[in-house]
Amino acid sequence: MRLLVEISPHQKARYDTKYIMWQVVIALLPPSFAAIIFFKLLAVKLIAVCVLGTNLTEAAVLFFRRRPQRFWDGSATVTGLLLALILPPALPLSVAFLGSVVAILVGKQLFGGLGQNIFNPALVGRAFLIASFPTLLTSWTEPYTLDAVTSASPLALWKFNHVFTKLPHLFLGDIPGSLGETSALALIIGGLYLIGRKIADWRAPLGMLIGVSVLAGILSILNPQNGSILFHLFAGGIMLGAFFMVTDPVTSPATRKGRFIFGFLIGVMVMVIRKWGGLPEGVMYSILFMNAFVPLINRLTKEKAFGR
Amino acid sequence: MLEVAAYKYPQAEQRIEAYAADKVFIPLSQHIGAPAKAVVKKGDALKLGQLIGQVSAKVSAAVHSSREGKVEDIKIFNHPTLAKAPAVVIRSTELKEEKTWEVRDLKENLERDSLVNIVKESGIVGMGGAGFPTHIKLLPPKNIDVLIINGAECEPYLSCDYRLMLEYTEELLRGVGVLVKILSCRKVFIAIEDNKKEAIRKINNKINTKDFGFRAKVKILKSSYPQGAEKQLIYNITKRIVPAGGLPFSVGVLVQNVATTFAIYEATYLGKPLFERIVTFAGSCLKEPKNLRLRVGTLISELFEKGILQFRKQPRKVIMGGPMMGVSLDCLDYPILKTTSGVLFMDEVDIDQRPEDVCIRCGRCVDNCPMNLMPLEFVRLVKKERWKDLDRFYVSDCIECGNCAYVCPAKIPLVNYIKIAKAKLKSLA
Repeated sequence: MRLLVEISPHQKARYDTKYIMWQVVIALLPPSFAAIIFFKLLAVKLIAVCVLGTNLTEAAVLFFRRRPQRFWDGSATVTGLLLALILPPALPLSVAFLGSVVAILVGKQLFGGLGQNIFNPALVGRAFLIASFPTLLTSWTEPYTLDAVTSASPLALWKFNHVFTKLPHLFLGDIPGSLGETSALALIIGGLYLIGRKIADWRAPLGMLIGVSVLAGILSILNPQNGSILFHLFAGGIMLGAFFMVTDPVTSPATRKGRFIFGFLIGVMVMVIRKWGGLPEGVMYSILFMNAFVPLINRLTKEKAFGR
Repeated sequence: MLEVAAYKYPQAEQRIEAYAADKVFIPLSQHIGAPAKAVVKKGDALKLGQLIGQVSAKVSAAVHSSREGKVEDIKIFNHPTLAKAPAVVIRSTELKEEKTWEVRDLKENLERDSLVNIVKESGIVGMGGAGFPTHIKLLPPKNIDVLIINGAECEPYLSCDYRLMLEYTEELLRGVGVLVKILSCRKVFIAIEDNKKEAIRKINNKINTKDFGFRAKVKILKSSYPQGAEKQLIYNITKRIVPAGGLPFSVGVLVQNVATTFAIYEATYLGKPLFERIVTFAGSCLKEPKNLRLRVGTLISELFEKGILQFRKQPRKVIMGGPMMGVSLDCLDYPILKTTSGVLFMDEVDIDQRPEDVCIRCGRCVDNCPMNLMPLEFVRLVKKERWKDLDRFYVSDCIECGNCAYVCPAKIPLVNYIKIAKAKLKSLA
């Protein structure tokens, strides 16, 4: 009888990293479908190119680093899908592909691969593109019509023209905007799935939504022209950021308190950028900025050990 | 706290069966502290319950013969936690009737000190797993006002404590009475997880219909792991926090496992020393799981040789204790100790063989640590050999419950890293 000798515990949870990543992909299906409904073939192509781009880049890097391939762990797919959903629907596919290469290469593998990166890879990809192709990255498409005509996003309309998009449209998503960010409804469905299945912790999303709400609330009391709480929650990238970006395990704090604070500060910072910044939207920069503070937040929010 | 799959059935429904082994290998160290000093030699004839190892230091416990027979040898033998340790080998002399113990009334005039002395002479140690000599716990330097009887049995698979609560309810409560008498404490809680409804009902029934000379309350705990861990149990029931490195008495609490309490009953009411205990045998490789009342020193292999237990299929892993904190064995020639609550026989499907992956810093280990530690940091620091920094994260506070490794999606053997860290820190100190 050959018996296996190992250190306890001998019983482990059934899920693993791969399962978690594919669950995120599943949670991203509602916003992906919403994108396909609104932007038709543009959405399909953009998603396909980004997912292909991130996976190919990851495979190539792992090949040259002589590391085992890990396509099935789904993490590159999550990055590709997230990247597609935060890009303008009509972005040239070559540009999108470039973004996905940068996301994995610079955002993830240069740091040492899965678990080692400081910044959210999808956001790194987008930040690179917005610096390289500012016009392309702010050219929005009217849903359904697929007019290549440039139209303004609700946040740009609010900031520069003082025009408010009606809440039902912001909620359902038939508005110009990043591919998967327009429908708050679809993102909430996916996000609640993620939290309900305990794939993501609720603290960072809640912190971010509270952060946005608090500042938006104060600002709207001071001046209704600043936009209501719901307007700010549903417009732009808040929902996608709250449910799918600040919940990224690798780039968010490991402590419960830390996760809430991290989310809250991002929410506040988004509103600061929206109100006082030169840009109409600030979700990407806020998250990337706060990503850099995660080690510090971890240290400052170290759990109080039992009996200490 | 964590909800882990409990796998308590069907063994929880199996009545306790007794079996007396032909040959026993009784280690002289079955407890925390100095090993007992052997007081018998090869060839000695022994009575059942006769002292074979005496208390050798302040922290130590006596060991008794678990079989009427002859000392065949005193030799180094397999030990589940110490690998190899001296053991007294006793071959039973068949035919002869074994000594039996009659219930006698607990003398009213028995003083606290003499009761504690009986416990000491009976070789009673914490039977929940730690094996701390009980008589030391019963003479705390500080007054105890809360007694908690631990019937949580939070480890998956195990059902020995549950069966004890069901089948020896009255004896158990008499044992509680002895403890109350020794400690003269005001509050008594019997802590049971809510997945043991029958035990809760039975104990409630007994304390309500019969006078045991004390008032106790059954405290129903949520079934989660590690609900029965001493410090967590104390906190959940009394909201008192045992300081790091401290013992329960420092907050005026004493915790005793139900099996230990039952042993105290037997020692005081029957005059019977601790030489047998109830052990759960379970796992998918057994034809039929069982709760057996076994003599200390019984080899697991003998149970199969004698047909008491049968394999349905070859096990891939044999665990002494529960699956969360138990020790895996390399063969079946290991003796049952006073602290052995179960032996599990797992096959390929039951055991997780997924390789260790990279940490994605998800923080599940942090969220589920009952000691509020940050296990992911232990792994990082051990990998970087930054031993000094490990102290700052209180690695020594870790109770090795296994929650972190259980929830880790990357299947990182965190307890392994923690053991390395603790050993290294000890060697540096």
